[in-house]
Amino acid sequence: MSTAARAARAAGRGLVANYSVFVALVAYELISRSGLVSPRLIPSLVVIAEQLWRYTLNGDLPYHAGISLYRAFAGFLLAAVVGVAFGAAMARSRWVEALFEPIFSFGYPIPKISLYPIFIFVFGLGTGSKVALVFLECLYPIAIHAAAGMRATDRVLIWAAENMGASRTQLFFRVMVPAALPTLFTGLRIALPVALIVTLLTEIIGESRGLGYFITFASASFEYARAMAAFVIVAVIGFALDRGVVALRRRIVFWQKDTPPIA
Amino acid sequence: MARPPRWTGAIVPLLLLALWELSARRGAAPEYLPAPSVILAQMGAMLASGELLLHAAVSVYRALSAFAIGALCGAAVGLAAGTLGAVERFYEPIISLTYPVPKVAALPIVFAWFGLGDISKIVIITISVFYPVYIAAFFGAKATSRVHIWAARNMGAGGWQIFRRIVMPSALPQLFNGLRVGLALSFIVMFVAELIAAQRGLGYLIAFAEEQTRFDIMYVAIATIGIIGFGADRLLLAVRRRALKGQLLATAEAR
Amino acid sequence: MTGATSAAGPVIAVRDLVKTFTRDGRTVEAMRGFSLAIAEGEFVTVVGPSGCGKSTFLHMVGGFEPVTGGELLVDGRPVRGPGPDRGVVFQEFALFPWRTVAENVTWALEIAGRPRAERDAVAERLIAKVGLTHFRQHYPAELSGGMKQRVAIARTLAFDPRILLMDEPFGALDAQNRELMQEELQVIWNDTRKTVLFITHDIDEAIYLADRVVVFTARPGRLKADVRIDLPRPRAIEVKKTPAYAAYRNHIWDLLRDEVLLARREEG
Repeated sequence: MSTAARAARAAGRGLVANYSVFVALVAYELISRSGLVSPRLIPSLVVIAEQLWRYTLNGDLPYHAGISLYRAFAGFLLAAVVGVAFGAAMARSRWVEALFEPIFSFGYPIPKISLYPIFIFVFGLGTGSKVALVFLECLYPIAIHAAAGMRATDRVLIWAAENMGASRTQLFFRVMVPAALPTLFTGLRIALPVALIVTLLTEIIGESRGLGYFITFASASFEYARAMAAFVIVAVIGFALDRGVVALRRRIVFWQKDTPPIA
Repeated sequence: MARPPRWTGAIVPLLLLALWELSARRGAAPEYLPAPSVILAQMGAMLASGELLLHAAVSVYRALSAFAIGALCGAAVGLAAGTLGAVERFYEPIISLTYPVPKVAALPIVFAWFGLGDISKIVIITISVFYPVYIAAFFGAKATSRVHIWAARNMGAGGWQIFRRIVMPSALPQLFNGLRVGLALSFIVMFVAELIAAQRGLGYLIAFAEEQTRFDIMYVAIATIGIIGFGADRLLLAVRRRALKGQLLATAEAR
Repeated sequence: MTGATSAAGPVIAVRDLVKTFTRDGRTVEAMRGFSLAIAEGEFVTVVGPSGCGKSTFLHMVGGFEPVTGGELLVDGRPVRGPGPDRGVVFQEFALFPWRTVAENVTWALEIAGRPRAERDAVAERLIAKVGLTHFRQHYPAELSGGMKQRVAIARTLAFDPRILLMDEPFGALDAQNRELMQEELQVIWNDTRKTVLFITHDIDEAIYLADRVVVFTARPGRLKADVRIDLPRPRAIEVKKTPAYAAYRNHIWDLLRDEVLLARREEG
């Protein structure tokens, strides 16, 4: 079979497997064109695509996307470093755990985003307050999972390492850290979308840059097609980030099958 | 090695609070950090006047009603998808494509479609809650041990019986994880939605306080949201403990 | 490295050993008043009903579980913690899932800083001994239970401990591999004359390998019997068919059966 035919076959299979997506898209387009609702509110896919094209080309969307991504990543990476350190400390020392663990488990269900207005006063309206909030929100799942991962190291593995004469440092870096990696990655996989969500939320609430702002401004100007185009960019970013984490996990935690994204 | 006493967990927060109170009294705290005693007094006043309860009730109503709808739909569809191949083939592509997308970004558009009232808030919260619950229910149902199903068939159970008596209980632990995430999410999204556009509610209260630069009111609202979020989570955990009584004994939780 | 038997006494000395576990206010007595002496170079197997405390005893000698009462001495000194002088083969294998078979086998040498050439040589030799040469670069997740167990055995042999503590090391192997490994272990032991404490459920295996078979009572574990096995060494696998062997088997099974029934009755 020629490569063209093979490609066509694969495409066909892809279409059938994801048929519901296409059905949804077609349904949407039909609703848009039917005139049931104002076409401004439910813009045709063609119009959305056109806006997407225009605003990508003129650099607007990439610019705002870059800002949002920068904020999300800055907060996320900070939280990753601090979170792992905190988690490791809590796993190693009973006293550190007793002092700080309740703050994490009690604080978890509290919407830390409610602190955002305070952050604005502390850090100003710009990137600082956003990165700070992203940091705070991501810190929780990362620290909790890092601590859980290290605490849950199979007792027998530690015994085996001690039996073979491992020092405390060797035990920590060569056994506890690798053993904790799967759980740690789950924490990271949970925290990354949180970083993106919090960034966008804070941009929606009040800001003059970033994708969240772009969507809000477009909606406020009744340019819904433009807002949806930006939403498509957000969707693509979110999707790509998730795939990225999965790929990274497959490389670093190569000895274990992937687990579903819910904690 | 001695086990630290239970109350060690309170040390750090209490210390911070004490520091806060002292520096505020001295006038050493910045403007946006009123003394905790002032905040507490304001909370007392707002409770007495019924104001706080009103706003809290509105927020809770929005969040919980949307949570209920989203959770029910998510659980139903998720369980179905985890059991029936046809349902899975329909939903899985859409869900896995849109899962990593922050639904929050659709807030402005949802407001445009449904107006600034309660409906749009409930819509966006429902959608946000649907996802984690669906995923948890789906994977929970899928993970049902094949051997258990075979044993049930061996004893003569039919399709619906297997679903009700084997799949659903098996999926329950996972499902509760999803519910927990969804619950926390419902409060977060509710709060944000109210911040942007509302006439009443705790989120609105904060926006109002910000406008009037009444930091004490702001903290009252924040604390209230925190308490409600925490309380709701504890409640869910209690329900979970009852619902999963036998199953939890085998795990580390039974310590 | 086989030193002369210490004139000071047995290598492993156990006197009135007591072990209790407390969990959530409930106390479980795993062992009560257990006494045993193992001389240097002896091969001692331990049999007993499930839950009688055999593994707990091994963990205590290994230094993983603290002693609650009584005395547990190795070389005249109380056991203070784990160490490579007492090599353990765990029932659960305890292989590191993120390292290959070869890397697992030489882990102890790696952390002691031994040079690569030495590690590779040891790995090759021992992996061949347990019959897994083709799987050198595989990860534990890709191996069957029996294969993982063989890797665990190779790993412990790699750092050449003076004392071997083996917790049902052949439990996951099929019957053929089991016999092969029993023969192999015999050969190794004959060459090196290590002191071995070996837990098993299989009476045949216990008799075949041992100088002495120790029978545990049901919980709380005590010494029920200490049977000296006077079969000539080296032992070919055919010794299992001799009448002397059968006599031992019957004797030990009778001892054991009482305890198994007792343990059953305990469970209600």
